[in-house]
Amino acid sequence: MDQETLLAMREVFLAAPESGRAQIFAWILSLSLLIVVLVLVRRRTLRAEYTPIWIGVSVGLFLAVADLDLLRSAARMLGAWTISSTIFFLGLCFLLAICLNYAVRLSQAGDRIRELAQEIALLRQRMDAGAVGTEEPGPSGRAKL
Amino acid sequence: MIVIIPAYNEETRIGPVIEAIRSTGLDLEIAVIDDGSRDGTAEAVTRAGAIVIRHPFNMGYGAALQTGYKYALRQGADLLIQMDADGQHDPEQIPRLAEPILRGECDLVIGSRFLVPTGYEMGALRTLGRRVFQGLGRIAGVEVTDPTSGYQALNRKVLALYARDDFPHDFPDIDVLLMAARSGLRIQEVPATMQESPRASTLHGGWRAFYYVYKMLLSMWALTARPKGKH
Repeated sequence: MDQETLLAMREVFLAAPESGRAQIFAWILSLSLLIVVLVLVRRRTLRAEYTPIWIGVSVGLFLAVADLDLLRSAARMLGAWTISSTIFFLGLCFLLAICLNYAVRLSQAGDRIRELAQEIALLRQRMDAGAVGTEEPGPSGRAKL
Repeated sequence: MIVIIPAYNEETRIGPVIEAIRSTGLDLEIAVIDDGSRDGTAEAVTRAGAIVIRHPFNMGYGAALQTGYKYALRQGADLLIQMDADGQHDPEQIPRLAEPILRGECDLVIGSRFLVPTGYEMGALRTLGRRVFQGLGRIAGVEVTDPTSGYQALNRKVLALYARDDFPHDFPDIDVLLMAARSGLRIQEVPATMQESPRASTLHGGWRAFYYVYKMLLSMWALTARPKGKH
């Protein structure tokens, strides 16, 4: 099959109307993700500081599926044959990015735990040696107003 | 009574702030929480004769405040004053903040720049943000004119609430006030004059402003979505 035929076939794939069912499924998925994030925040299981990425993914997926022409353009740009493969590819990129992000956070958390453990060890040594408590204490605080 | 001052890279400003507090003549314990500064903040605090509690690394303004709350609880303090390290807050106004709590009228007092005209100038965008959060706070159940004021007095009940795990690491503003109000604690404001922050950027400046708005909206929603009293 020559190159021109392949390109024409790819255009046919890309121009083919998408199933409305897939669109609805994607919307349900994005809304479910949004609801799960909100429920976790409400239950204090997830801190608000860690939500922007998940709310962003949820809103992004919702908007991307709403405008399929945007996804078609992305598919053409990436050299993909179908919109769904583009979504899978972008999803994979996101998962790789988030894995890397968590690896960085884990490294930082590891460093901090080590630092804390060392601080505790040094404090314990000072306590054992009787050094803690010999520092000048501040004036004890009762209000005098 | 304990004064806590969270500080990050405030080597040049913290000494005069401690001196200003001492010059009031009030019987106060001053504790500075050095939030992992990379400059000589801790040494400056020690030179000024105050207590320094050092974080081994930077954790954020909220985390530094919470360390101060936990310290005050352990010290058995009944009343805590929190101030900023950049000299914005006038220590002469400490009695004004403390008195409503000492009289038993409320649990938490906020030094407000906007309760009465004090001549404090805020940029247009920040003013808009303040008014929006003030309005949202009113709807959610907390009526304050200066939700971003870091000049506050807290009694032991508030300290116990704020010492919990869900206290925010970064911006404890209207969301924690709402948490206190929904826990049945009484909040009052008193007028306070403040200087402009000498720092080039504040906690809520630049790109952080967008995150701040997002974070506050989400936190306020989460608080109002929980049953009252379960905070």
